[in-house]
Amino acid sequence: MTRYCMVIDQRRCIGCHSCTAACRMWNELPTDIVYNAVLNEGVKGEWPNVHRNWLPTLCMHCEKPACVPCCPTGASQQDADGTVWIEYDKCMACLACVNACPYGMRDQSKLQPRLHRFVRKCTFCRDKRKDDPSAQPYCVATCHQKARIFGDLDDPNSEVSKLVGSVETFRLLEDLGTEPQIYYIPDLGGVRK
Amino acid sequence: MRHHFWEWPIPTYLFLGGLGGGIFCLIAILSMCVYPNEAIIPELLVWPSFIAILALGFGCLMLVVDLGQPMVFYRAFVKSTSVLAWGARLLTVCMIFGLIWFVSYLPWEWISGLANFFAMFRALCLAIAGIAGTCIMLYTGIFLSTLKAHAFWATPALPVLFTVSALSTACAAITLSAGWWPFELNTGSIEAVLLYTAAMHAIHGILHTVDIILVACEVVVLLVMVLSFLGAGNKTANRVAHKWIHGSYAAFFWVGMMGIGLLIPEFIYIFLGGVASSVVAPVMVLCGGLLLRFMVVNSDERAPLPGEDRYYNRLVDHDAEFIHKWTYGENVF
Amino acid sequence: MAEIDIHADGVEMVKSLCYFCHANCGVLAYVKDGDVIKIEGDPDYSNQGGLCCRGTSALLHVNHPARINHALKRVGEKGEGKWEKIPYDQAIQEVAEKLNKIKEESGAEAVASAGGTTRTDDWARRRFLNQFGTPNGFHNALLCWIPTFMAETCVAGWSPFETDLGAARCLILWGMNPGASTLPGMHGYTDLQMGGLKIIVVDPRYSETAQHADLWLPLRPGSDAALALAMLHTILYEGMANYDFIDKWCSGYEELLEHVAEYTPEWAAPITWLEPDQIRTAARMYAMNTPGCIQWGCTWDQIGRASTTGSHAIALLRAVTGNLEIPGGDGMPGPAMNYLTDEEMEANEALPEEQKAKQISRFKLTSWPGYTLISETAKRQWGKTLPTEWFCEAHGPSVFKSILTGDPYQVRALLVNATNPINSYGDSKMTLAAIKAVEFLVVVEYWMTPTALFADYIFPAAGALERPIIVTHYGATDSLMGGRRAIQPKFDRHDDYQFWKKLGLACGQDPKMWPWEDLEEAYSDIIKPLGLPIEGYNDFVDMVRMYYPPLHQKKFEAHGGFWTPSGKVEFNSTILRELGYPGMPTYIGTIENPIDTPELAEEYPFVLSTGGSFMPYHHSEWHNIPKVRYLLPEPYFSINPEAAEKMGIEHGDWCWIETRRGRIKMRADVEPVIDPRVIFAPRGWWFPERDGSADLDNPFGCLESNVNVLTSVDEEHCDPMGGSWANRGLLCKVYRCGELDEYRHEDTLFSIPGSASEPGIHDMHPSQRPLAREEIPFTAPEANVAAPPEGVEPPLEWDWKIGAYWQPATGYVYDESGWLVNSATRAYHDLWTGWRYDSAQNLLVDDATGDVYTMEREPVKFIHGIRIYPGVETAPYEVPDHLRWNVEAGYAMLPDRQFVYDPNSGWMIDPDTGNYHDAYYGYLYDASTQTLLDENTGNRYSMSYEPLVQSGTSEE
Repeated sequence: MTRYCMVIDQRRCIGCHSCTAACRMWNELPTDIVYNAVLNEGVKGEWPNVHRNWLPTLCMHCEKPACVPCCPTGASQQDADGTVWIEYDKCMACLACVNACPYGMRDQSKLQPRLHRFVRKCTFCRDKRKDDPSAQPYCVATCHQKARIFGDLDDPNSEVSKLVGSVETFRLLEDLGTEPQIYYIPDLGGVRK
Repeated sequence: MRHHFWEWPIPTYLFLGGLGGGIFCLIAILSMCVYPNEAIIPELLVWPSFIAILALGFGCLMLVVDLGQPMVFYRAFVKSTSVLAWGARLLTVCMIFGLIWFVSYLPWEWISGLANFFAMFRALCLAIAGIAGTCIMLYTGIFLSTLKAHAFWATPALPVLFTVSALSTACAAITLSAGWWPFELNTGSIEAVLLYTAAMHAIHGILHTVDIILVACEVVVLLVMVLSFLGAGNKTANRVAHKWIHGSYAAFFWVGMMGIGLLIPEFIYIFLGGVASSVVAPVMVLCGGLLLRFMVVNSDERAPLPGEDRYYNRLVDHDAEFIHKWTYGENVF
Repeated sequence: MAEIDIHADGVEMVKSLCYFCHANCGVLAYVKDGDVIKIEGDPDYSNQGGLCCRGTSALLHVNHPARINHALKRVGEKGEGKWEKIPYDQAIQEVAEKLNKIKEESGAEAVASAGGTTRTDDWARRRFLNQFGTPNGFHNALLCWIPTFMAETCVAGWSPFETDLGAARCLILWGMNPGASTLPGMHGYTDLQMGGLKIIVVDPRYSETAQHADLWLPLRPGSDAALALAMLHTILYEGMANYDFIDKWCSGYEELLEHVAEYTPEWAAPITWLEPDQIRTAARMYAMNTPGCIQWGCTWDQIGRASTTGSHAIALLRAVTGNLEIPGGDGMPGPAMNYLTDEEMEANEALPEEQKAKQISRFKLTSWPGYTLISETAKRQWGKTLPTEWFCEAHGPSVFKSILTGDPYQVRALLVNATNPINSYGDSKMTLAAIKAVEFLVVVEYWMTPTALFADYIFPAAGALERPIIVTHYGATDSLMGGRRAIQPKFDRHDDYQFWKKLGLACGQDPKMWPWEDLEEAYSDIIKPLGLPIEGYNDFVDMVRMYYPPLHQKKFEAHGGFWTPSGKVEFNSTILRELGYPGMPTYIGTIENPIDTPELAEEYPFVLSTGGSFMPYHHSEWHNIPKVRYLLPEPYFSINPEAAEKMGIEHGDWCWIETRRGRIKMRADVEPVIDPRVIFAPRGWWFPERDGSADLDNPFGCLESNVNVLTSVDEEHCDPMGGSWANRGLLCKVYRCGELDEYRHEDTLFSIPGSASEPGIHDMHPSQRPLAREEIPFTAPEANVAAPPEGVEPPLEWDWKIGAYWQPATGYVYDESGWLVNSATRAYHDLWTGWRYDSAQNLLVDDATGDVYTMEREPVKFIHGIRIYPGVETAPYEVPDHLRWNVEAGYAMLPDRQFVYDPNSGWMIDPDTGNYHDAYYGYLYDASTQTLLDENTGNRYSMSYEPLVQSGTSEE
């Protein structure tokens, strides 16, 4: 079995937003759609003893997604490899899934014509892997810092499963029970002044 | 938070759905359980049933209008087991059988054949519409409460609150509309007048009592829900509760919701009579119900990811000048 | 949603390069039917497939609806925004006529040209300007690397800007934030840091890079010079210098030791706001963890009058620790020996000396006077030199001032090439006034910028993906990288080479000087000396792509010295002294500070730092690309929460930031990313979505949120050596913007010198204003070595810097032995003729013609490569007995045949045919069968003279 997941190394991320921009280009997203925002809470602490963490996000491709069962048309679905995606022409944009997602990773563009709106979200660049099964999602390929690592969690030799097995990682909003498949390696700070 | 994803059509739909479902529920109970042998009772409630059908229809219209690709709507009936799909089916069932029931009472000559045919299934239709209506009331609350991402919705109190509210608004709507067209009072017959007066009195009496109870219940449920979030909810729900109790929604909540929507009509129901009780208070209850749906739907705060608010607060609205200044495909210079 | 399939039929992949910043990442462009459909990062290039916000959005740039696609001629008033599309060549013709007219009336120097960064092939522009005859080309170069480069070159002979981080143990990122500017670099730093490299970040802001530092020095903005001097003091006085290196390769150690005695960490502490121990820790970390690198940061050149002092001191830090040109240290590539440098493409010889003297710049290090000294040394030592573009330019703000004041003379025409000076040069209000005032403005651009709005003619520029790209770091390095043109320029867009070529030809320049049809042709000429077995530039990209010369460290050992005048690393720079500057870094503070200007500090309590890269923008570009702009739609400045609370500012509030020169509006980003005493404001903001012509006081809002309104270009505020103007370490105040507080006309008024309180030109003669440092009078010491004989042509001159006479025309140095020495090759040349001495043959060689002469300067004759000695009585080599010495002809021959004997091979050569004959019988050697042929009889012999049987080879 294949179970795609992503490990995001906060120790390497520098918040350049390249993944965001690259994703918007490759997937030809409307201007107001962001699949993979790079968040940060601002610098914390008291000058000059401060710290900042970048939190690159994307669809968590949950094992138990909240957004799939609530879809009234069956457009929102999950592949066997765990990829959660939307079949756009089946989506009526009722926004049930948008409200169901605890991570806020789904949205519809208001810049599209009134009767051709649908909900979008990150697809783990599913279409890229159609031709080339080893293809990386574009946000991974474009990351200069190599802070995003993509792979098959079920393959014990993949980099992601090694990392998840050997490094302290965390996931977002784990207590909701959605089993998100994006693992974060925390940057615990420690700049010496 | 990025924005409120659901705009005005959805709360309107939830309100109208609950209202319509509630009316059918009450019609069914009144005419089949409370006065099963009084033919005049259902006749007096034909107009409210029409109101209910309109509410459901208009609610559905709201829902469909809000969709991005309305042509795909049909899939909700065939493809899914989601709560929303069940809601759509219930709405349709309720509307169809309610409509048959309604048509069977139509007095017009040209439709009398059909009306007489439908009249044979009145009881069945009303039963189905009533059950479906009850489900719709429940569904509007359950629908929101299954979206666990939103702490303020994900509570069992919400379906209860919506159901109670739906019933109380239904009471109010029936109070306002019972006994109108197509019921025709034969003023020449004393008996008919007496019967009419007695039936109307009975309906109003029951609804009056029931609404007093429902409004009281609603006050309790609402306060329990909001105050429990205020005291014990998680961070997000807590924040919303604070918003309701003494934040930006406080005026709507205390004056609009609690005052105009619940306590003043309750006072009127109990202590005043006449027009105030039969017209003013029900209208206020209806307004309160609508306001409740808006406030609840707009309280769709999620637990934000770290830094999420900061990120999205910086982004501009989709109507910002620079977004629309240039159109790809054209050439300016 | 239409998905584009890059694997579909008919899609070609082209290796190109990103063209949006200096990193020039590798890009793979997928081209179908002459259009790029997708791009991605090249996984086999240094960026490893990575592309940043800008690079990845290239197609939005190429296909933007507001790109300028045709030549536009102004039809309304200036700034009215009314244009007529005219054919490109017609526009060129009209511009050329006007330029020629101005040249005729006011001289060529009345035409100036501003250039943009990494958007152009600058040698093409210089080629035009040199032939046109104007010295007034300029860039924002003085804010970016050039003054530092020149100071470093004065110290060690070239800028040590290349890093060898794999072997380094310590890295100082000083005033640079690769986390937001050059991402491929940041990737390397992060990897190496995880492997143990120590990274010291010097940055007043908790930047993306500082976040990952091992040691972070949040100094007061602009106090870099003090920090560098204190570190230098610590290293020297704590005995941490590399004394072997100093002994062997450096000069002036004692002087330096004395000079930095007063610059103690305790002295620097109040200036830099750092603890003395922090400074010591940094110095120790750098000096004890050798080899180490110090990466150049743009900040060094943006501190105004303290700029070059700082970079000079940092150059010495590298030198005293011996971190120059060693594995793991800072590498000095030198000019490209194996391909044509930019300088060789510039046609600098076309610019007459008297025109050079007219260059508008009072800052000698980065204009003709300093360039000449540095270039002379470079030519002498390396054999090649720096390009004049970037390294020898007019002072941009002074040119703008000359437009307004006519001082030192009136500049009448400005050719602006891919830059928007209003946003990117200092004192924007003055620059805007100059742009409005200039008589004739020609703009080559991608966009309708505030500058282009006032143009008389706008030419469409071809950019990323539409042009081939060659990366040689401004002609200052010896490696190169190449990228192909993915598509032909769309519409009427032309690359800048085509623009300058067409304009040059239209101005009447010699077509022979513009020999290349297109850029590919020019580039293949550039790489031709590499001698690669390829046809043309596209082949180079496809097959080679990157050229790195063989190992180039410790070149100074092979060279026998550094590439300075003295051949040593000069702690007390001779070139700087000759130019009238201190030869060692001498502290000078920022232009506005509580010590020198206490009254200002009272009114303006905050220190302002402007500039600094930030994603997703680059300089003043990308604000008009909605998908990029969406990520950061409005300008935010950084303020510490403590300061914000004091000023009543909350996160997101619109605020005014005000200096003595003006005020701008930005939104507050309240977080402890910066010291409570500091305000950080990013650069470049304008609002291209507005109607530019609606408000000509502030077209496109180009002043409203533009930090350059706050910066200063006053002469005494500029770096006296390099001319960098003051972007950092300014004093400002900040206050909330009221609801009704609009940007007003008064906010746009400018003054010379800069002061918002007194608009207008108060000083008609900026060129007479004092500079930040008075010139130190310099008289060259008299010659202290024996003079060369008289009458040597070209003449020799005394150069005190090298302590010898030298020949400026050739760069050869007169040696006490009576010979001239080529310092680059270490070859000896004849004093009188310049011919090179070939010690293997004991001959003189004229390298220009290839002719060879005897030591008596007699021409040496050859027949088919065999030297002959006509008139010599006896053979100078051993001649076999059966041969006869022909005195007249000067070679040994067979008695009966006029074959020339070759003493080296023992064969004879027929002077008529060049064929080889054996030396005994004179038989012809047949190489195809390896036999000898008697031409008289037709008989064949083996190589040992055995007759061969007439078999298959007989003549039948």
